[in-house]
Amino acid sequence: MSETRQFGDLATQLIMESRRSTMSDTLLKYNDSLVRSLIREQRDLEKAAETVEIPDLENPPPALLIIQTAISRNKRCLLAYHSHRVDRLRDMYWTVGGALPHLLSNQDIRSKLSPYEVDYLRQYNSSVMEFRSEFSHELDITASIVNPPKDLHVLVHVVRDCGVIQTELGSIDFQKGQRFMVRRADIEHLIVQGYLEEVS
Amino acid sequence: MSWDAQYRAGTLLSNANSAPKARSRRNAATLDDSDDERPNPRTNDSDRDVVMAPPSFELEDEETPLQKLMRHWMNERHAPDILPAQDELLASLLDHIRRQSEAVQLLRGEPSTSEEDHIRIMLVQTEVERVKFIVRSYVRTRLFKIEKFARFIMSNPEIQTRITTAERAHASRHANLTDKHFHFSVLQSLPETQSHLDDTPIFMPPMVTQPDESVPVFVHALRECGPIHFPDGSSLNKMTPGYISLMPFASAKALLNRGDVELV
Repeated sequence: MSETRQFGDLATQLIMESRRSTMSDTLLKYNDSLVRSLIREQRDLEKAAETVEIPDLENPPPALLIIQTAISRNKRCLLAYHSHRVDRLRDMYWTVGGALPHLLSNQDIRSKLSPYEVDYLRQYNSSVMEFRSEFSHELDITASIVNPPKDLHVLVHVVRDCGVIQTELGSIDFQKGQRFMVRRADIEHLIVQGYLEEVS
Repeated sequence: MSWDAQYRAGTLLSNANSAPKARSRRNAATLDDSDDERPNPRTNDSDRDVVMAPPSFELEDEETPLQKLMRHWMNERHAPDILPAQDELLASLLDHIRRQSEAVQLLRGEPSTSEEDHIRIMLVQTEVERVKFIVRSYVRTRLFKIEKFARFIMSNPEIQTRITTAERAHASRHANLTDKHFHFSVLQSLPETQSHLDDTPIFMPPMVTQPDESVPVFVHALRECGPIHFPDGSSLNKMTPGYISLMPFASAKALLNRGDVELV
């Protein structure tokens, strides 16, 4: 630990990242180096705590209390940082209607995740899928819940090719530049994922 | 109007007053052999109300299943804690949705369906989509809370009685998943003494997120009820129907579970 740094400085930086992420509503890149230095600080603190002599169990020396508090605080901040990120990831997962491949194939997003976070998303996805299968006969619980449906059909403009999709009118081959009048429930996930755009 | 009768009558389409010929043919061809439970379509003019009626809070005894769900949906969205699951209500509504969708599919495929009926079918489909929206939102609201409190749920048998089996399974999976993520990302690299998730250090709140029952909620009385006791020792003698009050969730909980009040 350098002389100029106080206990908890690193943790504060980490929390500031989470806060920036919330305020700017963006996912920031996983700060691996900061997390690592914090973990190193934790190990150093642990060693420091071990070297403190405890002459009297009833009244631990103040040095030990300070170290312990620093350890708890750092750990809390570390977990808060990860928990905040995971919350964000879940939000992102739901805004694309549970389309995990869509999320993971996006290089920009992918580069911001730690390997554990990718695993987390995969397992979260399978957990949600399992839950969803309870309702699969009637409805898809991963569909949007932002705006209540007003019309049955919607006029869409194809922004990106998305191949042949089954709809109530049979299969439609959506090609870039075309427009279709289709049932909202059939293609809503494609709007959410940015393949189609609603023409208003 | 009995709840069950409305339910078994899954045919809100068939109360068409026009085109009697087409309808009787249609019934013979499709409806009757598609669903044995379906009563004579001519008798159920009220079926449409099951999904079409606007909510009317005065007639509480005749609250339709959809209105019930909407009430539970609003309660769930406003409550900080997870409310008791409404699995029976939900299951019957889902059943209803499925039957209506099937009926709609059959009728659409029927060439004798008149233009006017097609418009009617469209209305029904739209309504079905809107009901689905509410169901979805309701389920997802619960799911959100379950994920938030997953660890607490797994350690608390009382709250487990309030959720469905599927929700409990999800809570358990989620608690595990989160633990594992924390373990791999952080805890495994920390020294042994620090690698637990449930420490209760002094001067800090506990690490397991719990529902906060002191959150204030707006309570709208549906029936006369009271007295209500508040945590600070004071109390409200009674609430008359229509009365709206702001109080901590803990005080409103019992009334809410009895259905005396709703959250707004």
